Amino acid sequence: MEGVLTGLMGGLAIVFTPMGFFYVALGTILGISVGAIPGLSGAMLIALTLPLTYYMPATDAIVLLIGMYVGSITGGLITATLLRMPGTPSNVMTTFDGYPMARAGKPGRALGLGIAASFAGGIISWWFLLLLAKPLSIWATRFGPFEYFTLILMAMVLIASVSQGSLVKGLIAGLLGMLVSMPGIDPSSGMPRLTFDQHQMTSGLKLLPVLIGVFAVSQIISDVLDIGRKIERVESAKSGIMIKARDWWRYGGNMLRSGLIGTLVGILPGVGASIGSVIAYTTAKNVSKTPEQFGKGSEEGIVASETANNATVGGALIPLIAMGIPGSVIDAILIGALMIHSIQPGPTLFITNPDVVYAMIAACLIGNIIMLAVMTGSVNWVAKLAYIPRTYLLPIIIVCCVIGAFGLDNVMFDVWVMLVFGVIGFLLERARYPLGPFVIGFVLAPLMESKLRTGLMMTAGSITPIFTRPIAATFLVIAIVLLVWPLIGEWRRRRAEAAGVAG
Amino acid sequence: MNERIDPRVEIGVALMLILIASLALFGAKDLPPGRFEPLGSAPVPRAVAGMILLLSLWIIVRALIDKRPIATAAADRYLDAGAVLLLTLLFVAAMHYRLATFAILTTLYLTATIGFLVRFRRHQLPWVIGIAAATGFGFQYVFTRVFVVDLPGL
Repeated sequence: MEGVLTGLMGGLAIVFTPMGFFYVALGTILGISVGAIPGLSGAMLIALTLPLTYYMPATDAIVLLIGMYVGSITGGLITATLLRMPGTPSNVMTTFDGYPMARAGKPGRALGLGIAASFAGGIISWWFLLLLAKPLSIWATRFGPFEYFTLILMAMVLIASVSQGSLVKGLIAGLLGMLVSMPGIDPSSGMPRLTFDQHQMTSGLKLLPVLIGVFAVSQIISDVLDIGRKIERVESAKSGIMIKARDWWRYGGNMLRSGLIGTLVGILPGVGASIGSVIAYTTAKNVSKTPEQFGKGSEEGIVASETANNATVGGALIPLIAMGIPGSVIDAILIGALMIHSIQPGPTLFITNPDVVYAMIAACLIGNIIMLAVMTGSVNWVAKLAYIPRTYLLPIIIVCCVIGAFGLDNVMFDVWVMLVFGVIGFLLERARYPLGPFVIGFVLAPLMESKLRTGLMMTAGSITPIFTRPIAATFLVIAIVLLVWPLIGEWRRRRAEAAGVAG
Repeated sequence: MNERIDPRVEIGVALMLILIASLALFGAKDLPPGRFEPLGSAPVPRAVAGMILLLSLWIIVRALIDKRPIATAAADRYLDAGAVLLLTLLFVAAMHYRLATFAILTTLYLTATIGFLVRFRRHQLPWVIGIAAATGFGFQYVFTRVFVVDLPGL
């Protein structure tokens, strides 16, 4: 514990340097602003900012991106409440009660509760991040290649099974991400693989152009489709934004419960803020004395949703820091950011780059405090960003995407890759394939394959340790259960439906 | 959600996935077996591509036999999206072939794209051209002088 506190002090010292604080504040404010603009997301902002961080010191780059992560989750609250449009997917549940409350003449109160709940969620999960990341990383250092292989296998199945849409589509998206990561020089044999004799392909498809394509370009194409949609809006109000001490007391239990749910969901690899807020909202409704108010402007509903979605941020950083496994899509991009700065994510991160780890943890705390101050003080101003005409904004973002993809290595091939994946991402989304598994598959597949091949080299080609080593076998069993459980559920549902029809 | 996606979209996307998986299988067919390690570089892409192929076929079969009602699409602006995509392709191609500087190409691209999205309304055009030029020349200045990043184009 003493080591953790010393490390945290070091992290805070980094964040409180003039540049460190500037970057956290800038990141948080940009994150809030982007979150407040419907159609733009934190993943898009972070992917586009990544090329600008190449020349920055690693700690400055990471604290900037963490600030964006914290800010973007919260910024979506504003449009969810005032426009009934979730700024980010994780704010969907907030629209159910935030907008009715705003329509009922209490927009300030709805925003105030959401801001307070977001702060509470961020701080609850931050404590878990501080206390759990290091012990978990120490435990993960015991993992051999087979444990790592089965852990990633379990993570992939988990991501696919809990993603929105069908399990099969989640699996396909994850597998496609894995396949797309495979072209290039095979690290084990040193031979080109799936390059189709194209010299540009020997370095493989790089993370950044693929990410910008899948998250930014595809989103812009989708946004163009509903550019003319009429938006209902409620004007913001200053009154009620500062919530009172009795509200903290009244909703403390809800915040704690939803914060714990959000943190736990965040820890699960690849399960993002959307699912955290859905579970917390449903739980809050089930235990509420006034469940009939949910969906009609329930204060408890806003508190549950916003606490949980912000709590997933700290939760999702735990597996990233401890094991190098992304807890969410943005964490997958953060892994890419670490790699760009020559930092290898994984359980040894606490040993090799403790400054970066503790700067991330400190930035998460300070980002939440800045978020509370900025949102409370200027939510009415930030709300105006939602009204920027998208006809002007979207083409300018495309130009930013081109600069971002080109800036990686100064080659136009990356820009073409970005465009192709923009179209693929758009088509996948139209057919309701989740994009989260795609990105996480893309990031984790090289690690998964290398662990499998290292393991097989150690055992002369035998996969028996997967079944005989306790941790590896446990991960494998969980993966199988996660895969089979939804299928059984589907089969039982169909049988019940058939029985109903026959009856 | 008891409505299904338009089967044409479902099948079209599944066919695209089958094409990608088939390309990967084709690319992996001549990969040599491992020399210093048991697995080699071919089995993993083959297995992954094979699974995508099978699951995509399953999606097609399911789309063909599914009898639920088709989800009605909102009034989408597919023409706008197609035009923006086409203009973006032209913009990238112009930069690829270095037809002009980044600032000029960006100004032209933004004027054309934003102008198209606002339906070239006369009273908005001065704004469109102004914003396009400010963005094009402003980005060129900021990225090359402040961030010292190379930009595509001449």
